Amino acid sequence: MLSSIKKYSFRKFRDSETKRHELNYLFWECTTRCNLNCLHCGSDCSKDSLHRDMPAEDFFQAIDTIENIPQNFTVVFTGGEPLLRKDIELCGKELRKRGFKWSIVSNGHLYDKQRHISLLNAGIGALTISLDGLKESHNWLRNNEKSFDKVINAIELASSSNRINFDIVTCVNQKNINELEQIRELLISKNVKAWRLFTIIPIGRAAHNPDLSLADNQFVQLMDFISETRKSKGIDVKFSCEGYVGKYELLVRDSHFFCRAGINIGSILIDGSISACPNIDRSFSQGNIYTDNFYKVWENQFQPFRNREWTRIGQCELCKDFKDCQGNGFHNWHGDKKNVLVCHNEKIEKQRNANILYK
Amino acid sequence: MINMKRNVTRKIIGGLSLTSAMFVFQACYGTPQDFGLDILIEGQVKSKTSGLPIKGIKVSVADNVQYEVTDEEGKFSFYTEILEGLTLHFQDIDSTQNGLYIDKDTVLTDLKENIYLDIALEEK
Repeated sequence: MLSSIKKYSFRKFRDSETKRHELNYLFWECTTRCNLNCLHCGSDCSKDSLHRDMPAEDFFQAIDTIENIPQNFTVVFTGGEPLLRKDIELCGKELRKRGFKWSIVSNGHLYDKQRHISLLNAGIGALTISLDGLKESHNWLRNNEKSFDKVINAIELASSSNRINFDIVTCVNQKNINELEQIRELLISKNVKAWRLFTIIPIGRAAHNPDLSLADNQFVQLMDFISETRKSKGIDVKFSCEGYVGKYELLVRDSHFFCRAGINIGSILIDGSISACPNIDRSFSQGNIYTDNFYKVWENQFQPFRNREWTRIGQCELCKDFKDCQGNGFHNWHGDKKNVLVCHNEKIEKQRNANILYK
Repeated sequence: MINMKRNVTRKIIGGLSLTSAMFVFQACYGTPQDFGLDILIEGQVKSKTSGLPIKGIKVSVADNVQYEVTDEEGKFSFYTEILEGLTLHFQDIDSTQNGLYIDKDTVLTDLKENIYLDIALEEK
């Protein structure tokens, strides 16, 4: 009964948030240059990107169109590797002058003590760093033998600051699924307070690497690990908002699944495209800052994000969980968009059925 | 007024779902949100004798890794975590280059808003 009330209230809440579509969270794909060449990269970034970094003034011109700026409006620098840009601190200070908060998603490779200090000085408020396993498995995925040591150094610096709201993300794959307990202990020993776990969506370089996807039983193993760890107090661990996980909802994260792409989350991509999360198929772009008024696009476009009935197609068409899932995370719709790329709940259900058969 | 009503309704519906994190979210591949508090400390360092700005003075926060060095105009500017009290060290770190000055500490209390400081250093 209580669970039904919660579910019903949540759907109403989600509908009202969608109608309201307040822009709270803006990704800026400020560069597609990267200093690593990760096996799972979902973007086309490289050491010598085809795109030049977006000039800061172009970005500011776009965001200065925003009217009625919501409280806690945050700009998230993403890439590529944002720390390759020398002007991140200047951009950060400009954002703070406008009353905005800002944060960075980084691979940690360039996050040394000097950069830590200059980012703090410029008013950084949050940071996410990737750690994808113990030394061997992390360096394998990151395709770099020095990466693990550099990330650990970055983690030690970030966790030493009370100012930064900081978390670690881990892409769970065949090589690290059995290391999760050791990674958890490592993070606790480094004073990390929050840890988010992902699976790898088969897009970009990850599409052709079978070592990166989890089998159904491994996905359930991940869900069980997260829900068990959440019962203890050592670290705040959660499953990312990448997909709907049926019976594991609320066991693996703080809130029901709600993909806020295009509802509260927008982005300005490297070529000026206006979209939501950067890993969403680029054909969903809703405009371009070089030809359109950014805020008008945010207010008046984004229909495919705010009405997801079009995702009732393929295996979602007759799915009994559609009301709660709404076609899963938006980044799961790529290519011809005739079917969802990954259904997390299907993995759980398949494994449940396999267990029943086995018994 | 209409907006206020909408906000209240929103919070009631959100609250009914009994998940405290309803208004706190992060994108899958994004960072957590920043709910921390900090303040901007800015100012200018000048010579007590000449009144001229001093370049190259290290301005650091006690018990913290943060510091900045004054520019050509003797100016500095940085954000730092809000604490009940905070001590700033002003230290001449470039020997005789730009003159020789005596170090100084400034204690800041009751920090609530951004601060601008005019600092005068005595020559050695």
